[in-house]
Amino acid sequence: MPDSELLKLTISEVAPLIQSREVSPVELTEAALAEAERRQPTLNSFITILRDEALAQAEATEESLARGEYLGPLHGIPIGIKDNIATAGITTTVGTKVLRDHVPDEDAEVVRRCQAAGAIIIGKENLEEFAAGATSNNPHYGAVHNPWGLDHVPGGSSGGGGANVAAGITFASLGTDLGGSVRLPGAFCGVVGLKQTFGRVSQRGLLVTSFNGDHIGPMTRSVRDSALVLQVIAGYDPLDPSTVPVPLDDYTLIMERGIQGLTMGIPSNHYFDLLDPEVEAAVRRAIAALEELGVASREVSLPSMEYVGALRFSAMADSVVTHEPYIASSREDYGPDTLYRTLAGQFVLGRDYSKAMKVQRIIKEEHARVLRDVDFLVTPTTPMPAPRIDAENIVVDGQSQKVRGPGSGHISRNTSPMNATGFPAITVPCGFSGAGLPIGLQFIGRPWEEGNMFRIAHAYEGVSPSRGVWPDLG
Amino acid sequence: MPVSNETLKRIIAEYGGFELSDAELELVRPELDNYLAELQNLRDLDLSDVMSSRLLRAAEGDEADA
Repeated sequence: MPDSELLKLTISEVAPLIQSREVSPVELTEAALAEAERRQPTLNSFITILRDEALAQAEATEESLARGEYLGPLHGIPIGIKDNIATAGITTTVGTKVLRDHVPDEDAEVVRRCQAAGAIIIGKENLEEFAAGATSNNPHYGAVHNPWGLDHVPGGSSGGGGANVAAGITFASLGTDLGGSVRLPGAFCGVVGLKQTFGRVSQRGLLVTSFNGDHIGPMTRSVRDSALVLQVIAGYDPLDPSTVPVPLDDYTLIMERGIQGLTMGIPSNHYFDLLDPEVEAAVRRAIAALEELGVASREVSLPSMEYVGALRFSAMADSVVTHEPYIASSREDYGPDTLYRTLAGQFVLGRDYSKAMKVQRIIKEEHARVLRDVDFLVTPTTPMPAPRIDAENIVVDGQSQKVRGPGSGHISRNTSPMNATGFPAITVPCGFSGAGLPIGLQFIGRPWEEGNMFRIAHAYEGVSPSRGVWPDLG
Repeated sequence: MPVSNETLKRIIAEYGGFELSDAELELVRPELDNYLAELQNLRDLDLSDVMSSRLLRAAEGDEADA
């Protein structure tokens, strides 16, 4: 099989070829590295490409296969890691000049788990500075470009990962999601992006900017691949007290159950407000497709979402603490978006932070109540398709919205609420805008029920108009 | 409650040890204005009956967590 076709397979398609030794991990890694290097001038999706390390890893996994040791579906699979996730002995910049020489001593727990499962890390992926934004337009390492439209952002902050999975470079990329930073690149790049239940995956080794609501999650080419990666990275970590020892389901088994008879909730407020008409139309078509698959629909109301803006207070205040060690000494190394955004966080008073925590609890309870009446919620992932890289503002539903930097936040208005609730959410491609840019559909599930969410997303994926469509990168 | 440029400048200098020009202060404002607008939005929200999770569990009889 030619490399170009090999790299377009999903993990679940290529894994049996590796297991049967029809495809070698070294051959696959060579192909992925060659593609990464070929596309880097166009996409700028990596900060560091790990050619030597990846080939050494690939040779080791090939030897273990030769000994008859097959480690599972990630064995020999080339993946990418966002550059705010620690990799021992490898520079981990967090997308900032401030940490350009930062070399962690230890791997993040998710990195350890992926490597133990035989995955090959081919590079550290580009991101928004300090993972604090939705564009991946990095002032130090350059803007990441969207494979579906090179003048457009890939979404952020895990934009390098989204671009790599969409372009057929990595089979999966691990991103981090504090306000949508896995799901936004998922939507803008037309791939699957997962934010599982808070506490399901260890955050040890994630260089956080906020102590509330950050998650490490996968971007993949299919829902099944998302499940396969979660199966590997999920689980209790005694050294990360935020993880919860909830038993893991066999996700790929649950996924095969039908969805007939389930009920979806369609929020009557917030999630469908201030939308680009093309996004709304694509999502309404997806809802109709789910109905045709036998899912009942019910409108649900979430009135406390009127106060959802308060959920930003904690991230604002936390950001001040995160940046405190660096900002006084290295101000000149900061990009303007991060610097000016962080400075505003000093004005968040303790009592307002506490009030925001109460609002967070109300919103969480309200979603929990609604999810007793319906099996899942369906929403647009983003209010609009990917903006242009040079856009400062965009007009959505007649209102001008900032795309990046201080005062921005519209792009993540539908994703950030689930970072506050901790409930699982996944984005699946559901079609394209007139300009050919992907549109994402978000499913929100009950806590710890990722299996059911995969089941629904997998069923929809089978009828999605995005199925089998690839960006033309020439 | 508006925050004057002088206050903004003073607090940033205290935190970061550097002064911002008036033009730079204007770049901080959009984030600050969003925060202040949300505070205004929250003003009339009565949160007095929202208890902490530990208290709620105690009320359900879980003495170990009280």
